[in-house]
Amino acid sequence: MRKALLLCLFFHLFCFAQNRELLYNFTSIPQSSLVNPGADVSYKYYFGFPVLSGISANVGSSSFSAYDLFSDDGVDFNQKVRDVVNKSSSRDKVVTNQQLEIFSGGFRIGGRESRSYISFGLYQEFDFFMFVPKDLALLALNGNRDYIGKSFNLGDLSMKAEVLSVFHVGFHKKLNDKFVYGGRAKIYSSGANATSTKNSGYIYTGEEPGTPNLYSQVISSNLELKTSGLSRFTKDEYEGNVVRDIANNTFFNGSLGFGIDAGITYYIKDNLQFTASVIDLGFVRQTKDIETLTYKGIYRYNGANPDFMGTDDPENVFDEFDKAIPRDTLYNKYTTWRPTKLYSSIEYSFGEARPDDECNCHGKVNKYYKNATGIQVFAMSAPRTPLFAITAFYRRNIFKKLDFKATYALDTFSNKNVGLGLAGTIGPVNIYALVNNVLEYKDISKASSAAFQLGINFVFQDKE
Amino acid sequence: MGSNSLSKISSILFSVFLLFSCSSDLNFDQVNDFKIEPVFVANLAYFNIQANRLIDDGGTNVYPDVRDFDVFKEKFFNERLKKAEFDFEVENNINRAFVLNMLLLNDQNEVLQTISFTVPSYKGTPNVIKYPTEVFENARLDLLKQTQKIGFVVVIASGPPLNSQSEGNLKLRSSATAYLVIE
Repeated sequence: MRKALLLCLFFHLFCFAQNRELLYNFTSIPQSSLVNPGADVSYKYYFGFPVLSGISANVGSSSFSAYDLFSDDGVDFNQKVRDVVNKSSSRDKVVTNQQLEIFSGGFRIGGRESRSYISFGLYQEFDFFMFVPKDLALLALNGNRDYIGKSFNLGDLSMKAEVLSVFHVGFHKKLNDKFVYGGRAKIYSSGANATSTKNSGYIYTGEEPGTPNLYSQVISSNLELKTSGLSRFTKDEYEGNVVRDIANNTFFNGSLGFGIDAGITYYIKDNLQFTASVIDLGFVRQTKDIETLTYKGIYRYNGANPDFMGTDDPENVFDEFDKAIPRDTLYNKYTTWRPTKLYSSIEYSFGEARPDDECNCHGKVNKYYKNATGIQVFAMSAPRTPLFAITAFYRRNIFKKLDFKATYALDTFSNKNVGLGLAGTIGPVNIYALVNNVLEYKDISKASSAAFQLGINFVFQDKE
Repeated sequence: MGSNSLSKISSILFSVFLLFSCSSDLNFDQVNDFKIEPVFVANLAYFNIQANRLIDDGGTNVYPDVRDFDVFKEKFFNERLKKAEFDFEVENNINRAFVLNMLLLNDQNEVLQTISFTVPSYKGTPNVIKYPTEVFENARLDLLKQTQKIGFVVVIASGPPLNSQSEGNLKLRSSATAYLVIE
């Protein structure tokens, strides 16, 4: 019980929202093409510092923070658990996303004047999504005595989790000065998946006049948990290293899937830019080590019912329960859809500048804008309803090789999410760091969501 | 762009990143204090005996019945049950008095406890009797936890004979309240 709770909390603490508002259209970072394959990124070639080119993690909980549970304030822990449950609703969600780029790179194809690029990479990703199962938490905390007449909704149970690796190859082309388009194909290899999003049913205790018993007690259950890559770990015979085996499955022996990314950048005017992208439009066909558990049926509990007629009618509560709501195990392959993300932005640039700090030997004037501001929108598919966010941003070119971006986002988790990002290039070394929800960083434990991303790349441009 | 404002901005940014490390004191050991005390109610037993099924000569007679009651076999429940209460409600519409015995039996059919209710005969007015709550704690709770069967013995006191034309019934409704401590 305690273990399960700890695990649960562990997940809560490592939950991030998936919106990458800082990275989006931050084109001095090559990884920005991961959130818009049609981003206006240019290079002769680049490669990411292995394993350090893109590390990101994201936690979001729409109703509570680590502080609410673990603050050392002398309040009884159980009271804090109770308070968290009471202030949550079954619409509150806990979301985590973590990504680690194993390798990545890109190069320009064609000659010096060409503006077509190929990029590729492999990254590992972990996703977790859960709604707060409020009704069941209430039932576990308080029991049913004070809830006569209430139906505890089993549909509150809704979660999915996945560990996968993604190998991708992308192409983008700057067709002319106004238009960039790009696309990416992805092969997913899912090492472990657990999906339980289509649950329904209830647990009910009521007092109904006209019925012979004191209570009407019904459990109506339609629960289903699909897993892939996990069932071997639950067997008694298993004697391995779970983490190592999942990692191995993720990269070498996972359930395979396919997806695409696509995106565009369009300059309406010189200083007015529109972008849009769709990311992870894809699926995984779960085929490896699959197991589906179901608990389906209706059970009514009547207690002992003697009839004094000498009939021997054995009443065995557990047998009856198992018969009414049997645990079934199925071994069907199933398909999971990746959480698909949509991004779009409109950006206005101002503060025209010329690179006067460098000698321009070609005589061609590369004017650019020092400032950009605009709005980004984000949507992501999720069980029940999609997640949305809207972000206002300001980006400044501090000097030629150093860019700064600030964002203010409104989303499910926070309405004062300020993010700051910095990307700089020293010689060929490109370093970036993006931190989300900085207002909460003065006390990170009170943050309902947090995200960071950092990485190192080597980017080579043409010598001028 | 002067290097002055650059260093200003980068120092601001740097301090922001330093703030990363700031956090209230969190005490994760509190998980060890985790303890919940849910209270569950459930049906315990009910019956409805019709007078015309109690063919009776007017003397004292005994009607027994034994039912399996295996919830205490469930270890999780058994170990965490700290207190239990039984509530009983009897309605008698038969003009005979009864004594109702509920026997808690172990798997050897040995009687662990007997709970007795005296039910007066029906006098023409509705009489639903709610009996005082039976509370199980400590030693009495330990006995309860060994229970695997419940026996019901209805003893009918002497009075006017009953036959297949007799009217009225004897009803029992009862509930159990389980106080669990999960830590």
